[in-house]
Parts: sequence; C-alpha cells; structure tokens
Amino acid sequence: MRFIEHPPHFLFFTGKGGVGKTSIACATAVKLAGQGHRVLLVSTDPASNVGQVFGIDIGNRITPIPAVPNLSALEIDPQAAAQAYRDRIVGPVRGLLPDTVVRGIEEQLSGACTTEIAAFDEFTALLVESSLTAGYEHIIFDTAPTGHTIRLLQLPGAWSGFLEAGKGDASCLGPLAGLEKQRSQYKAAVDALADPQKTRLILVARAQQATLREVARTHEELAAVGLTRQYLIINGVLPAEEAAQDALAKAIFDREQRAIATIPPALAPLPCDILALKPFNLVGLDALGCLFETVAANTTETPATPNPDAPSLATLVDGIAADGHGLVMLMGKGGVGKTTIAAAIAVELAHRGLPVHLTTSDPAAHLAETLNGSVDTLTVSRIDPRIETERYREQVLRTKGAQLDAQGRALLEEDLRSPCTEEIAVFQAFSRIIREAGRKFVVMDTAPTGHTLLLLDATGAYHREIARQMGSKGVHFTTPMMQLQDPKQTKVVITTLAESTPVLEAANLQNDLRRAGIEPWAWVINNSVAAARPASPLLRQRASNEQVEINAVASRHASRFAVVPMLKEEPIGVSRLLELTRIPEVSRE
Amino acid sequence: MKTIQIFDPALCCSTGVCGVDVDPRLVQFSADVDWAKQQGAIIERFNLSQQPLVFAENAIVRGYLERSGQEALPLVLLNDEVALAGRYPNRNELARWLGVAIEVDAPKSGCCSGSKCC
Repeated sequence: MRFIEHPPHFLFFTGKGGVGKTSIACATAVKLAGQGHRVLLVSTDPASNVGQVFGIDIGNRITPIPAVPNLSALEIDPQAAAQAYRDRIVGPVRGLLPDTVVRGIEEQLSGACTTEIAAFDEFTALLVESSLTAGYEHIIFDTAPTGHTIRLLQLPGAWSGFLEAGKGDASCLGPLAGLEKQRSQYKAAVDALADPQKTRLILVARAQQATLREVARTHEELAAVGLTRQYLIINGVLPAEEAAQDALAKAIFDREQRAIATIPPALAPLPCDILALKPFNLVGLDALGCLFETVAANTTETPATPNPDAPSLATLVDGIAADGHGLVMLMGKGGVGKTTIAAAIAVELAHRGLPVHLTTSDPAAHLAETLNGSVDTLTVSRIDPRIETERYREQVLRTKGAQLDAQGRALLEEDLRSPCTEEIAVFQAFSRIIREAGRKFVVMDTAPTGHTLLLLDATGAYHREIARQMGSKGVHFTTPMMQLQDPKQTKVVITTLAESTPVLEAANLQNDLRRAGIEPWAWVINNSVAAARPASPLLRQRASNEQVEINAVASRHASRFAVVPMLKEEPIGVSRLLELTRIPEVSRE
Repeated sequence: MKTIQIFDPALCCSTGVCGVDVDPRLVQFSADVDWAKQQGAIIERFNLSQQPLVFAENAIVRGYLERSGQEALPLVLLNDEVALAGRYPNRNELARWLGVAIEVDAPKSGCCSGSKCC
C-alpha cells in the first residue's frame, strides 16, 4: 500500500459518500497504531460508524480504543456541529426577536456551506500544535474540507474587520459569521493543510468513469490551494476470479478494468493503490486487518441468490402517468444516477404514448443525444451547468462586482464558486421549462435543495403578498414554490444507492425538502446488485448487505419506492433504459 | 459627528448572490455608502442573519421588527433615531442628514419640476 508508506503527520481521506473512506481510514489507523505509532482517528462522516467498527461508543470526545493500543478516536457529527454553530448565533436572540425572524436567520445558516464550515471549525484545533495534539504522531481524518472552504478561509477579505470588530460592510460572510476561534488559529490550520511536509491527501474512488472524473476535479481543486501531496485509492474493485462466476460479474469486471485503464490524465501521475472488493462487512478488527490484503471470496458463508420483494420503476411510473401531466424532479447526491433514472422514467412514460420533455444537466451529454427523436412523444433538452453558472457569475460580477474594491471583489468571486451558485444558476435555467408541466410531463434530472428553495422563496414571499392582494380581485397567481409544494403538480423522486452512507445522505436531503414544505413523492434505489439477482458469491454477499438498506428505505424513509437493477451494460439507449424499469425474474444459471 | 446605522434584512451568503437576482438598489446604495464615508460620516451596516444580537439589543430596532416584521427592513437610524424605514436612502438623503452639499447634482428648484414655469 503506497498511500501508507512514510506517512506524514496528517492524513486526509476524501471522496464521495459510500466509497469506503471511513473503513479505509480505520484500517489505516489500526495499521499505523500496530506499528507502534500513536494515532488519533477523526471521523466527520455524518454516518460515522467508527464506534461500531471498534465496538465501543466514541462520540464527540477523544476516546482511547481499548482493543488497539496507541489508538484514540473522535467522532464529529457535522449536523450537530452546524446546529451548535447556529445556536451560537441565534441562541442569544431567541425570545428577543420575533419567532419568524429567528426562523429566517436559522434558514440562512442551514445550507451545506454552513455545515462544512462548522465541521471545519470543530477540527481546526486538531490541526495546530497544542497540548491536545502533542501526543499523536499521526492524525487521520476520514473527510477533507473542500477547495471552496479552504479558499474562503485563505482570503484576507473574508476576515478583515469581521471577526475582530463583529461588523463588516461586505456582508459576504454568512457561513463564517459564527466562527469563534481566533483568526490566527484558522490561518495556522489552513497553512498546515497546504504544507506537503505535514499533510497527505488520499483520494478514494470506485472504478467507475464518472466517479474518477469527479475525483480528478477534486484533485485539481485541492492541488490548486496547496494540497499537492496526493495519493489515489481505487476501492472495491471486483477481483478477476469472480468474473468467471456469472455474466453480471464479468460485465462489472470488464467495465471496472476499462475505467482503470482509461483513468483521467490528471490522476495518472498519482501514486495509486487498488483495493479488492471484500466478501465481508468491514466491522471489527479482524475485518479491518484484512482490508489491505487479498482474501478469497469463499471465506464466509455465501447467502442464497437474493430475491428482493421490491417494486420496480415501472410501478412508480404507473403512479406518475395517472395524473396525465406534471413535473418530475430527481433529487440525490452526485453519482447516484439521477440522469439515468430521469431518462428511464421519461422513456417509460413516452413508451406509453404520453408527451414528455426530458431535460438534463448531464455533463456527458451522450444520453441526451442518443435519446433525441428515438420515441415519438419524447423531446430531450440539455442545460450545461458550466455555461449557466458562468453566465450567472458574469452577470453578478458585472452588476454587483463593479462597485467593490479588490478584496470585496475577491470575496464575491469566491462566493460565486460555492455549490449553491451552480444550483441556483441551473435551477433558473430549468425554471424556464417548468411552465410546460401544465400540459405534458417534464422530467428533470436535478433539483435545488430545500435550503436553496427557501432562500429563493425569500423573494417569493413578496410574490405571495402580491398574490394575496390580487386574490381579492379574483386573479389566479402561483409562485414557483407553490407549484413545487403541490404534489399534484410536482413529484420529487429521491435517488440513492443501497449503501448506508448514500441512504443517510438521501434522508438528509428529504429532511431539507420537508423544511421547505415539499414532501418527496418516492425513492428510487439505483444500481441494485440484489435486484440483478447475481450468482457470484461475492455479489451475493453484496446483495445481502444491500437488503438491509433496501428494508430501511422501505420501512423508515419512503412512502413509496422502487428498486432498479444493476445492468450488465451501461444503460444507454431506449431498450436498456426500459430494462431498468423492470426487475428480472429469478433465474438460476 | 453623525452616525448612521443601517439594519439590513437577512441577506444570504454574501451580497445576495445566493438570492435570486442581484438587487441594483443594493449596488447603488453600496456606492452611496462609500461616498458618505468619504464625507466623514460613520456608517455601520448590520445583517440580520449574521448579527441578530445587534438587532435584539437595540430597543428601536427590536420594536420595529415586532410591529412590522423583517419584510419591513431595512431600517436606518441617524444618531439613534429613525431616519428612514422600508427602503435604502439615496444620496440626497444621506447628504441632508450629514449636512453636506452634493456637488454633482444641481439642486432642483422646488416650485414646479418638469414644467416650463420657472
């Protein structure tokens, strides 16, 4: 394992939810501690199972792990950190200012940026020399701050006068307003991150083209802010011997090997380790010890061929089709396959002779191209997020930025690089198409978060006031928000994968939407190995792990749901998309 | 010395970038604030979402929020008295409060703007 050789003081693992960062961080910590180094493991994963992995309660304090000499661990819950952060700002005025005002302020501080900054605030103390950290040779983090956060903290304009004086003209500091530590401490923390002698960043990916492309972007973004010492781990790769077991395993194996062979050029120079898919859950010390080893598949008892009793996407489409028209918005974290599911729903609707407009922000674009004109009642359009965001940025900088000095302008430019900006820019582009949903079906592969909707609706509140006044004159008036809140007009479909972190992330998205008064209509579990009914022992093991998550979605999260099987081939073209909407019968090969 | 305090509504992360559209009045007002500072005024701006405590601790502002709600912001105080509510001041108003003359705009005669009578 190259990433673990000559480790520096800090190791950060970064990657999308569900790629195995926490397991790898735990295994790394165990390994280094086993070599006699004193190690602190810090988890900021919202679904942290570090405690479960080691079989003890950890929580938000440094806790020695009894079973592993030299190892201590700490779990920082980013949601709890964000809540504490909000409380610091809002707490003192609760009861003093009107409730509606207090709620409005809380919403301003409920975005993803605030959560990230709050988590960063929590572990800042661990990045600087202090009595807290003096005892540890290595501190291992299972997440890393994003380039946006680091850049924000590096900007002098973000600080001048604000923390010290408590008031600033720029008002650009929403997420930073509750930071409570000294500026020098943040500066030291950011400097430590950017010091290649102290910090190693380990990118964790799966052997999938889209995931690797995204990791390449993360690599470039973080290298640009100084985290130049980077390693790559491709995790969960299907071993060659498993490919002989069944056609699905063979197809997955070929696809993964192709993705590895055609790795993005930006990642090619990085020292890379490949970890094989393991037939067991990475819980407990024995399992962790095997993570970096090759293990034969049949070491554990293999479960039977899975037979999930789950509804197919076609049954969900029945419910959508029944209303004759309407807006369908797919929502979910990047990489769960929103575009694919949107296309499958659109094709299934069009296949039934219904008029459908599929609109996608898929950067790859090939999906839209292959579908256009393929089914009579289907039209496809594409919104390029990069172009829309650039247009929006230029417009803001032209109008707003013209009046600002150099520091203020730098800050504004950084604000415009936040994830919210892209979300808003893309949503504005989509909203031009939403109007069509009164006559036909409009299927969108993206949706703004509830947080963004609430912020956008701050102006909507004004529209509603007008609507109320017009109402007395009998004029019909709806705001976009009202359209999204009405289940007759809009169906939000949450897309996820049958793995614990993606399911948790999807549940958070759902809570966020509910805050905005939007009840998700259904959940779709994409890329299910269980629904593909594999014969290979390793895939059967994975399928049985999936079943736990499918049950959780069915019983706890979703009012209705569907499971979409993993296909042997990439789901491109009408016939394969239609294949996604059905769950295959059990067939023993 | 005149002190002008502006109590802004809750602007999201920055300048309203995360809102829907950039409000041109805010842009103009930022420029006017810069101008007033050059005239020697002390101008402080407070954002409801970031410094709510300042709003809560000021009896005038708190009372205003209770009566009229946050939709009625901004509120402008001049030496701790209400000078303007519900909109941002323009440069003429700032000049009047500060007791300075504006050199750029020729003063309009009050009698009959627009017609040819004077």
